[in-house]
Amino acid sequence: MQVDAFSVLLVDDEPEFLETLVKRLKKRKLTVHGVKSGEEALQWLTKESVDVVVLDVKMPGMDGIEALRQIKQNHPLVEVIMLTGHASMEVAIEGMELGAFDYLMKPMDIDELLYKLQDAYQKQSLRRQKIKKMKEVVEAGDAGN
Amino acid sequence: MLSFLRKIFARGDHEAIPPMDVEELRTTFKVRYHHFKLLLNANNKALEMMTEMEHALHGNRPFGMAFIKAACTAISANVFHIVKNLNELAPGKYEELYDRFKEIQENISRELSVREHRIGDKLVIPLAEADKDMADQVGSKMANLGEVRNRIHLPVPPGFAVSSLGYHRFMEHNKLQVEIDRRIQATVAERMDELFRLSADIQQLIIRSEVPADLEEAIMEAYREIEKQAGAGVRVSLRSSALGEDMAGTSFAGQYRSELNVSAEHILHAYKEILASKYSLAAMSYRLNRGIRDEDVSMSVGCMAMVNAVAGGVMYSRNPMDIRDTSILINSVWGLPKSVVDGSVTPDAFTVSRDDPGEILSRDVRVKDRKFVCYPDEGVCRLDLTGESSELPSITDEQALELARMAVRLEEYYGGPQDIEWAVGDDGIIYLLQCRPLQQMESTRPPGEQPPAGSDDSAAIILAGGMTASPGVGCGPVYIVRKDMDALQFPEGAVLVASQSLPRWASMLSRAAAVVTEQGSVAGHLANVAREFSVPALFGVLHATQQLKQGDLVTVDADGLKVYEGRIDALLAARSEPKKNLMAGSPVYEMLEKVAEHIVPLNLLDPDSTEFRARNCTTFHDITRFCHEKSVQEVFSFGKEHHFSERSSKQLFCKVPMQFWIINLDDGFKGEAGRKYVQLDNIASIPMLALWEGMTAVPWGGPPPVDTKGFMAVLMQATTNPALDPTMKSDYAARNYFMISRNFCNLSSRFGFHFSTVEALVGERPSENYISFQFKGGAADYPRRVRRAVFVSSILQDYGFRTEVKEDAAFARIEGHEEKFMRERLAILGYLIIHTRQLDMIMSSNAAVNNHKSKIVSDIESILRGEYTGKKCPTGSN
Repeated sequence: MQVDAFSVLLVDDEPEFLETLVKRLKKRKLTVHGVKSGEEALQWLTKESVDVVVLDVKMPGMDGIEALRQIKQNHPLVEVIMLTGHASMEVAIEGMELGAFDYLMKPMDIDELLYKLQDAYQKQSLRRQKIKKMKEVVEAGDAGN
Repeated sequence: MLSFLRKIFARGDHEAIPPMDVEELRTTFKVRYHHFKLLLNANNKALEMMTEMEHALHGNRPFGMAFIKAACTAISANVFHIVKNLNELAPGKYEELYDRFKEIQENISRELSVREHRIGDKLVIPLAEADKDMADQVGSKMANLGEVRNRIHLPVPPGFAVSSLGYHRFMEHNKLQVEIDRRIQATVAERMDELFRLSADIQQLIIRSEVPADLEEAIMEAYREIEKQAGAGVRVSLRSSALGEDMAGTSFAGQYRSELNVSAEHILHAYKEILASKYSLAAMSYRLNRGIRDEDVSMSVGCMAMVNAVAGGVMYSRNPMDIRDTSILINSVWGLPKSVVDGSVTPDAFTVSRDDPGEILSRDVRVKDRKFVCYPDEGVCRLDLTGESSELPSITDEQALELARMAVRLEEYYGGPQDIEWAVGDDGIIYLLQCRPLQQMESTRPPGEQPPAGSDDSAAIILAGGMTASPGVGCGPVYIVRKDMDALQFPEGAVLVASQSLPRWASMLSRAAAVVTEQGSVAGHLANVAREFSVPALFGVLHATQQLKQGDLVTVDADGLKVYEGRIDALLAARSEPKKNLMAGSPVYEMLEKVAEHIVPLNLLDPDSTEFRARNCTTFHDITRFCHEKSVQEVFSFGKEHHFSERSSKQLFCKVPMQFWIINLDDGFKGEAGRKYVQLDNIASIPMLALWEGMTAVPWGGPPPVDTKGFMAVLMQATTNPALDPTMKSDYAARNYFMISRNFCNLSSRFGFHFSTVEALVGERPSENYISFQFKGGAADYPRRVRRAVFVSSILQDYGFRTEVKEDAAFARIEGHEEKFMRERLAILGYLIIHTRQLDMIMSSNAAVNNHKSKIVSDIESILRGEYTGKKCPTGSN
């Protein structure tokens, strides 16, 4: 699949994990930035353009589910992938009901994550396209009236 | 905005769409295809995980709770994904599935939630108050000792137990369990080096945590009580007395740490060290192999006044290796019993008859070249013994007889054979330090008995002697273990050779073919675990580490006390009992069985049945199956009904029109297609082209010569089965349809009288690639159809497919391979679809089947060799 470069925000309180993942995704030609908490993530999203967020579920301070809720509220077009070391069915389903794109468990294969990122980005760009189309139609309709 | 909506609804599915809407429709197709693809991915992942669950239930591969939790979570997440995407494809049509999903998920959650039963409210319990009914507070080890002291009235040092409540208090105070679970989940349990690092990390984590103040206070107060009985400043021993140690047939022998001769100021630290040993490599791999849940083991810790032992050891109230031998076995050494338990010294061995007064039946006094004694301040020291004392018996005959009497009393009290640790104090009193049930084994050859004299192949004997620590015969390459690092590289199926029988070598036993050591006794921990895992073990073999060469293939006859060069099949054949499945019946295994019931069974088999409804989905597999079927239908009908030139179904054209119709879901065509036809050259779908190549590679020779009976069978079915009547065919089944994109292809076809579906996703992501194949029906009678289903699946199995035959239907799947491999598999399927048509007619006998198989296999081999490359257009179309 031909995918253009897109922008990813990683949120994880484990510095070592975060650092490695940022490095490895950058090698795969993505624009990647890493932050250590949900609060930082929300701040970053207000000033930078991000396509997909990879969010750790368990973090000190604002937990992943709350961060997801706020991201979806304030930036509905941003896709969120949950990534966790604590397998929990309940949290997985809660996250997906809140609109997470998917729920992955550590340890995960870096390529698996990359595929998920690409799929999430594709979903997002299809949605953008649709919205753009709708706007055009509405504008055309308005102009015609 | 309203006008916009009105426009959309008014348009319907009619022709003559304005150009701008064509582009919009194109986007709609793309979006739908994207949802469909996500659904397929999730479907594939869910099925894969379900298969993995089934494998775990069949096989002997060990797994822990982390596996079960992760598998359940992954399957739930993927099934949810499937439901969500199906509802995107057909908004509002399948909402009911969310309820079904919730219900099933709650059932699984209920199974998974561990009902924690914590009994008691004391952090610390004095030994004087403990008895065997308190095993769920203080662990069976301390409960038994309390019983011995308070009911049987045999000497036990004063002491107390830090209860399991104390353990939970410690873990909760430091929020350790969640962090430990996380680390376990993130580790590949099959890799020894990863497990080793994990074990070290967790133990550090525990040792660095603090003991909460109330617990500290309770422990120190209990210590002051011991001081009152045993004197101020008395040193103590701390040992694990874990709950769950005594679960059916598990010994936990030597899995946990003991701390001897600890001074008051270091009790708390020693306590934490023992808690940490719950996560020693040996204990973790033991639990994994025996299916014991992490959370089921709570570490109660026993603390007792230290006995400054003159001599000590372990005795068995019966022979553990021979259920028929009733004599008492005593192992004894100078100093603390530690060196018997950890296998570092080969002890004196006494056998005493169990009648009263007992009689010493045998007395085997060994050279004991070291002993452990207490340092005055703290800790134990190893002293090398030279000269006379090393060769003297470590206990007197009177002491041996007294010990035997104790053993008999304990056995009578408990009503079963016992394994007892004891020490002779400097006051001459024999103290009991531990007492637990002994596992006995059936012996086919009494231990120590020599094989018949003049045994043929004496030339091949490398070593002889020692004693049977665990019966049996095993064969494998020699692997000598000297240090912990060696253990990490221990190869599966090797013969473990070591100088001492250290308990920590137990982590390798699940992978060892046999064990040979120079030091150690049948009463040691390693021997216990070897017996539990049915690994033959020969201990006390002099110079084993020098005589055996790394990598050499040897056969260890633990019963015959010999090690042979090479593989001695005669010996192995006599002992080819299958290794017992240690997971079956364990708590972890039972948990998997329970949750799998809500996940794996498939009840919705037949999509044409009226029972095939959302409300009848009772497992995750049902939901998966249901959604897949519906999603294909949704995508199919959407593609078929949208009559705009680019996407509507087109007839495949290859020199002439073919009897195949194509629905392009997204990017399945290279360029614009004609109004009615699409040229084969214009197809971009990788899986479709691969399939097509197989379908057209070898010209079909027409129906095979039919015996009269076969032909009759076809006719009979055709008149009785309404589905075979052409006027009854549903639209979907009537034609041969390809639904395609660049990486996807779904072919539903009806050739002759059978119905087959191939679905494949093939692209650059090997982990997402899959092919699934279903094959059903036929016009012949039932036995012939079944035979054909079996026939097709046997061929596919040979090429790596997982297959299943249910009645006259064959199912096959393969996944996770790279593109070229997948294309070859599709070519094989393509060939089979064409060339097995009406095969059921000649399936009169197995001989006829075999006849046909060789022709088919040779065709497939030529296809794989590339002898038919290049897309072809068959000359006569169907």
